[in-house]
Amino acid sequence: MKVEAEQYGDRRVYTVSAFNRGVAGWLARLPTVWVEGEVTELRRQDRWQSVFFTLKDPSDGSCLPTSMPRGQFDALRLELANGERVHVFGRPELFEARGELRLRALSIERFGLGDHLAALERLKQKLAAEGLFERRRPLPRFPRKVGLLTGNDAAAKRDVLTAITTRFPPARVVVAETYVQGPRAAPALVTALRDLCAGDGVDVIVLARGGGSFEDLLPFSDERLVRAIASCAVPVVSAVGHEQDTPLTDLAADARASTPSLAARLVVPDADELRERLNQTRSRLQRAPLHLVERKRARLDGSYGRLRALSPRATLERGYAIVRHGGRIVRTGADVEKSSRVDVELGEGGFGATVEKTR
Amino acid sequence: MSDTGSESSEVTFEEAQKELERIVQQLESGQADLDDAIKLWERGEELHRLCLEKLDSAQGTIEALKPAEPA
Repeated sequence: MKVEAEQYGDRRVYTVSAFNRGVAGWLARLPTVWVEGEVTELRRQDRWQSVFFTLKDPSDGSCLPTSMPRGQFDALRLELANGERVHVFGRPELFEARGELRLRALSIERFGLGDHLAALERLKQKLAAEGLFERRRPLPRFPRKVGLLTGNDAAAKRDVLTAITTRFPPARVVVAETYVQGPRAAPALVTALRDLCAGDGVDVIVLARGGGSFEDLLPFSDERLVRAIASCAVPVVSAVGHEQDTPLTDLAADARASTPSLAARLVVPDADELRERLNQTRSRLQRAPLHLVERKRARLDGSYGRLRALSPRATLERGYAIVRHGGRIVRTGADVEKSSRVDVELGEGGFGATVEKTR
Repeated sequence: MSDTGSESSEVTFEEAQKELERIVQQLESGQADLDDAIKLWERGEELHRLCLEKLDSAQGTIEALKPAEPA
């Protein structure tokens, strides 16, 4: 295809139309390929010639406008809905009037259960290799606040709240309700998780979801959510009901609980146990001063006994006497001389005397 | 023990419980002298009361985070 350009001096200038036509021609030479993504913004009307939707990359939200002739689309009988994963066989095409790139679909296949499982397994291997499943941070024993991230499916929320407040009535819980199912669930869960983390005083977060089918629980294996949990500033407990396939949130969380009451046990202390322990401590506290006084008294009694034993009084009582001369104790005969006045102290009373003879 | 009596309202249950148990151990070890023992005991009683208050009267709260905007 030849694209004409105008010559302005040494500059070749294309019209928009010519430019678009040129790019379109170049794009048309690219091969047909398979592209995987999530269907969003699906628009189909009987009076339109084509069906339009946007293919979205679930990992980073990259978008690709896609179109398919309505007749072909209807003939596939896919009954596609927004949020479904598909493989689209097609080739890039420029919508010349608007200069927009889009994928012209020749065929669409729904991403089957087997594909989901295989994709999940690949994701699991990848995230495991990055070390995202090795976080086991200790949970706080007394969280200031518990963040509860749950769906608006009343049962899961109610069960966890009841379990927490029964075990620990003073618990303070911040509840974030969000989508837990469908294509909007994963990004909504990520946002709610971040909001909870940013909340004042939230020390631990419980991610609760009642059981569901494999497809229902897919958001809980979404790469964005798994990464958000692994990088969450506060510890996360995954309480996602499941039977066989473990959602990846379970692996990325710091702890996992298979039931609401187990989740409650992980995040709040047992008020009854605390009260019991407090009672025991109180009893010890009340006994302690008495014990202390008894011990001090016993020690005092011991000291007094030893003091008495050392006292000369006890010796005197056994028949000894102390002889003093001029206020000093007479220890040898040389301390006195004939006619010295001495004072004799006995166990009881005493007397004065005069020395007759020294030895 | 440096903050005896002060900032009681700021103390968390966990801190109060830990301090209470430390005081009891200190008293039971018999190492405190009598004057200190009285102070320790008074502090212990205060902490016990504080813990009970926190356990009993603290009404649990359940608040809703503002709904997260879906992406």
